[in-house]
Amino acid sequence: MPKHRSPTAAAGFGRIWLWNLPYIAIGIFAVAMLTLVWVLQKRELDLQQNVLARDMQWAEQTMRLHLQGNQEFLGQLARELAEGVLDRDNFQIRATQYIANNPELVNIAWVDAGTVIRWTAPFETTDWISGEMLAASQPATFSRARDNSRPSYGAAYEGIRGVATVELFVPVQRGREHRGAIVGVYSVEGLVNYLVPNWFTDKYRLSIEEAGGKVLASNSAVKKTDDALDYSLSIDPPGNGLVMHAVAYRSGSEVPRALPALLIFGLTLVVVWSLTALRQHVLRRVQVEKERDRLFNLSLDMLCITGLDGVFRRVNPAFERILGYAAPVLVGRPLLDFVHLDEQAETRESLRQLALGQPVSFERRCRCDDGRYKWLVWSINPVPEEGLLYAVAHDITDRKRGEEALRAEYAFRKAMGESLVTGLRAVDLDGRIIYVNPAFCRMTGWTEQELIGVRPPFPYWPPEELDYNQHNIDITLAGQAPAGGFEIRVQRKNGERFDARLYVSPLIDSSGRQTGWMASMNDITEPKRARAELEAAHERFVAVLDGLDTGVYVAAVASDEILYANRAFKNIHGFDAVGRNCWQVTAACRPDPGEFRIDPRQLGLDEVPRELFDGEIHNTLSGRWYHLRDRAIRWVDGRVVRMEIATDITERKLMEEAALKHQERLEQTAHLISMGEMASTLAHELNQPLAAIANYAMGCVNRLERGDYQGEAILDAMRKASFQAERAGKIVRRMRDFVRKSEPHCVSVPLADIVDEVIGFAEMEARKAGVDIRVDISPGLPPVRADRIMIEQVLLNLVKNGIEAMAQTPRQRRHLTLAARCNDEAQIEIEVRDNGHGIDTSETEKLFAPFFTTKPQGMGMGLNICRTIIEFHNGRLWAAANPGGGSVFRFTLPLGE
Amino acid sequence: MAGEMMAREQCVFVVDDDEAMRDSLAWLLESNGLRVRVFASGEAFLEACTDDMPGCLVLDVRMPGMSGLELHEKLQAVCPGLPVIFVTGHGDVPMAVSALKKGASDFIEKPFNNKEILRLIEQCLAADREQSGQRRRCAEIRRRLGSLTQREREVMDLVAAGRLNKQIADDLGISIKTVEVHRGRVMDKMEVRSVAELVQCMMEASATAAE
Repeated sequence: MPKHRSPTAAAGFGRIWLWNLPYIAIGIFAVAMLTLVWVLQKRELDLQQNVLARDMQWAEQTMRLHLQGNQEFLGQLARELAEGVLDRDNFQIRATQYIANNPELVNIAWVDAGTVIRWTAPFETTDWISGEMLAASQPATFSRARDNSRPSYGAAYEGIRGVATVELFVPVQRGREHRGAIVGVYSVEGLVNYLVPNWFTDKYRLSIEEAGGKVLASNSAVKKTDDALDYSLSIDPPGNGLVMHAVAYRSGSEVPRALPALLIFGLTLVVVWSLTALRQHVLRRVQVEKERDRLFNLSLDMLCITGLDGVFRRVNPAFERILGYAAPVLVGRPLLDFVHLDEQAETRESLRQLALGQPVSFERRCRCDDGRYKWLVWSINPVPEEGLLYAVAHDITDRKRGEEALRAEYAFRKAMGESLVTGLRAVDLDGRIIYVNPAFCRMTGWTEQELIGVRPPFPYWPPEELDYNQHNIDITLAGQAPAGGFEIRVQRKNGERFDARLYVSPLIDSSGRQTGWMASMNDITEPKRARAELEAAHERFVAVLDGLDTGVYVAAVASDEILYANRAFKNIHGFDAVGRNCWQVTAACRPDPGEFRIDPRQLGLDEVPRELFDGEIHNTLSGRWYHLRDRAIRWVDGRVVRMEIATDITERKLMEEAALKHQERLEQTAHLISMGEMASTLAHELNQPLAAIANYAMGCVNRLERGDYQGEAILDAMRKASFQAERAGKIVRRMRDFVRKSEPHCVSVPLADIVDEVIGFAEMEARKAGVDIRVDISPGLPPVRADRIMIEQVLLNLVKNGIEAMAQTPRQRRHLTLAARCNDEAQIEIEVRDNGHGIDTSETEKLFAPFFTTKPQGMGMGLNICRTIIEFHNGRLWAAANPGGGSVFRFTLPLGE
Repeated sequence: MAGEMMAREQCVFVVDDDEAMRDSLAWLLESNGLRVRVFASGEAFLEACTDDMPGCLVLDVRMPGMSGLELHEKLQAVCPGLPVIFVTGHGDVPMAVSALKKGASDFIEKPFNNKEILRLIEQCLAADREQSGQRRRCAEIRRRLGSLTQREREVMDLVAAGRLNKQIADDLGISIKTVEVHRGRVMDKMEVRSVAELVQCMMEASATAAE
C-alpha cells in the first residue's frame, strides 16, 4: 500500500466505495429480508408445529380417551363375563352395537384361557372365527395381559386383507381365575379415520405408523401436505411403538413457502440488475454529459441557458471568447443588458413570444466587453415547463459586414448601372446583345426588349455608317478593339443622330472565362462641341496673345525652361525661345532673380498667384526700355510657373525724361506764380521790421522832445532799430535772389514747339473735361523770341483757364482753339479762344488786377503774372469776348531769328 | 457820485509773438508816459491775467499757438471788461470785423501810424477808466445792498416802487413807525438822499448784475 494516496486515487477509492455501496446495501438488505422471511417462516412453522403438536396431543388424547372408553367397555364385558352374566347373545348384541357405534373397533371377541376364540362380534365377521386359536403375536399379548392382569395392547400387525390391526386384550379375571380375554380388534385405519374429528383430518394427514416408520394407516387426502409440518406422537394405548404421525396440509394459499425468498431473491436480483443497468445508464449519461459539456464548452457558437426573463443561468466559454465576458459576469444578468439599445424593444417582444412557448430566431447587435458591438444570430428555444430558454448565438458580425458591404456594393453598382449617364452594352462572343443599361436605352431610344438578343447590324447604327460600324464590331469580337475606343455616330429610334464614343472591354464571368464584350457609350456631342469651342477659344487666345505688343512668356520655376512665349516675346528675344533656358534667352533684358520678392521655387500651389517683380529694365541689346512684371502663377498642368510680361516703355521713358526736364524748368517757372504769394509774404514780413523801426524812432523822438531820456536807453533803442532795418534788408535780398533765379531766358523758338508742349501738358485735363483742343498754326510761321518756359507757362495758364471756363458748356461745343499768326507789327500774335462763360466786359481789365479771381478757390495770381511776363517780353496780353460765346485771350511776342 | 479812484495805475498790455514788435511798441508807449507790460504769447498773458486789470490790451491777431482771436474769446471769461485793440496784418479785415462784433474795442492795421495807435490806446484807457469806475460804483452799491437786512430790503423795494409809508405798513403788516425807521436806515445805508437816487442806485446795480 503506498504511503500516501493521491487525492484522485483516494477520491477514486471513495468513488468505488460509493459506487458499490448500493450493491452492498442491497445485498445486506436482501440478506436481511431473506433472513427475516426465513425467520418469519420458521416462526410460523414453529407456530404451526405447536398447533400441530397441540392438535396431535388433543387427538391422541381423544384417541386415548376413546380407546380407554373402549377399554372400559371391554373391561365391562370382561367383568360381566367373569361374573358369568354375560352370555353370548348379549355379548354379541352389545359388542356389535358397540362396534357399530365405534367403527374403529372391527371385532370384539372372547378368547378363553386357552386362547381359543369363543365368541366374536360382529356376527358376520370373518376375521375372527370361533374356535380358532390365536395366532402370531396374539398369544404373546394374551399372555402379557393375563400376566399383568391388565389390558394390553398388542403390536400392530397386518391382519387379514392386509389391514393393519391392533388388538387389545382385556383379561377376564374372576378373582384369580383367568378366564381368557376380551379382545378388541382395532383397525388402525379405523383409528385414524374415526377417532379423530373431521376438522383434524381436514387439517392434517394422519397416519399411524409402527416403530419402523411403516405406515399402517393414513387418511391422506388429495391435498398437498406441508412436509415441514409434521408431528409424531406415540399413542399409548396402544403403545407398542405405534406412532401417530400427522402431517399438516397446506393451508390457505397455494403460495409455496419458498416464494418470499424467491421473490426476495428475485427482486434483489432485479434491483441489482436494475442498479447495474442504472449505473451503466448513469455512466453513459455521464459520458454523454461529458461529451455534451465538452461540446458545450468547445463550441465556437455561444450556447446559454436563460430563464424566461432572459437572465443568464449558464453560459459556455464561447461567450468569453466572442464577447469578452467571463461566465461569472454574465450569469445573473439579463440578456437585454447586452443588446444594442436600438434593438431592445424587439428583443423584449421576442422574449414575450418565447414565454408563450414559441421558439424564435433573430439577429441582434450585442455589446462586447470592450464596448464594440457584434452582430449575433440567436436561435432560442423555450421550455416553458422548466421556465428556461435554451439559446444558441452565432457571431455573424463578419457576415453582416460582408452582407452590408455586399449590399452596399450591389446597391452602388445597381445605382451606377441605373444612373449612369454612360450607356452600357454587353454582347456575347457572337456579337449578340445580352445586356443594356437604362442609360443606353435612353440614349439610343430603343427599349431593352428591342435590343437584347439582337445581332449586328444593330438598330442604332445609322445606315450610312453601316460598313464602319460593322468593321468596328468585327474587330471588337476579334479582340482588337482600340484602347481609345471608337467614335461613332448613333441613330436614335426617332432618327436623330448624335456622336458617341464607345470603349470596349472584355466581359469576364466569375470563373474567369470571357463571356463577351462590355462597351460603354458616352454621348460626346456636347464634349465634342465644347472641345471645338475650346479649340476655337484657344486659337483666339493665341491670336490675342500673339497680337499683343507686350511680350509674354512662361517659364517653369524648377527647370527655367520656357514653356510658352508669345510672338511679341519671340520678336524681342528670338524665335526659338520655347524649350530653352529662360535666363539665356532673356539675357539682354531680365530682372535679377535675386530681386524677386519671393523665390518662386518656394511657392506652393496655394500661394499663387504672387507678384515677383515689377520694374523697368533696360534692354542692353536693343537699348529699349521695358516694364517687366513677373508673377508666379499656376500653370495648366498644375505646376507653379513664372510668367513675365514685358511692355515696351521706351517711348514713355523718353517722354518721361523730357517731361522731367521740363518739369524742372516748370518748377522754376512756377516760382512766378508763387511770386504773388511771395509778394504778400514779403509785404507781411517787411511790415514787422518797419513797424518796429518806426516805433523805436518815434519813441526816441518823444523822449527827446520831452527831455525825458537817458542816453543809454536811446542808444539801445537805436541799435534795435537798425537791427530791424537789417532784417528788412535781408528780406528784400531774399526776394531779389528769388526773382533773379527766375529771370527770363530768351531764345528763338518755333511757336509750334511751345504749343505742342503746352498741349501735351494740358491734354489730360482737356480730355477729362471733354474739351477738344484745336491748333491752328501755319507751319511757315516764323519763330518767336521768348523764354520758352515762361511762354509755355503763360499759354498753359490761358489754356487751363479756357478749359475751366467751358465747364458748363455743352460737350459738343467745348472747343478750345490755339491759333497764331504774324501781325502787322512784326509780332507773333497768339490767340486762345474758348466757348466758355465769357467775361463780363466791365471786368475785362479787372481780370489782370492782382488777386482778381472768379474762381472760388482762386488766388487771382495767374493773369496778372502772365501779363507781367508778356510785358517783359515787350508784348501785350489782353482779353476780348468771343463773338461765338466765350473769351479770347491774345498776346504778342517778338519775332526771333 | 464821486468815486474814489483806485490807486491802481492803468497799464497797456501788449501781446505779440514778434520780439521786435513788442519791444519797439513798448518803447514807443513808454515814451508817451504809459505803463506797458509785454507778453510773448496768449498763454503767457492768460497766466498773468487777473480779473482786475485796469488798462487795455494790444493784441496781434496772427500768432502761432493761441491766435489773437482765441485769446480774446478766453479773455471774456477772465477779464471781460478789458478793452482790446487788435493789430491785424494784411488781409485780416474779415477777421478783425468779426472780432469787433465779439466785443473788441478797435483794430489797427500794421504797419500803423504811431499817432493812430496812441490815440486808440488813449481811447481805450479812458473807456477802461470809465468802466472801472462804473464797476467800482456798482460794487459799492452792491455792498451797500448787501448790508441791508431782510426787512430793510423789503421796505426799500416797496419804497422804490413808489408805495407810501402807510401802504408799506399795510403790505408788510407792521406799524408805520416801524416803516419809517426802516426807511431811514435804508437811506443811510445806501447813502442816498432821495428816492430817485435810490431808484437809480438800484437800477445801476441790477443793470451791472445783468451784464
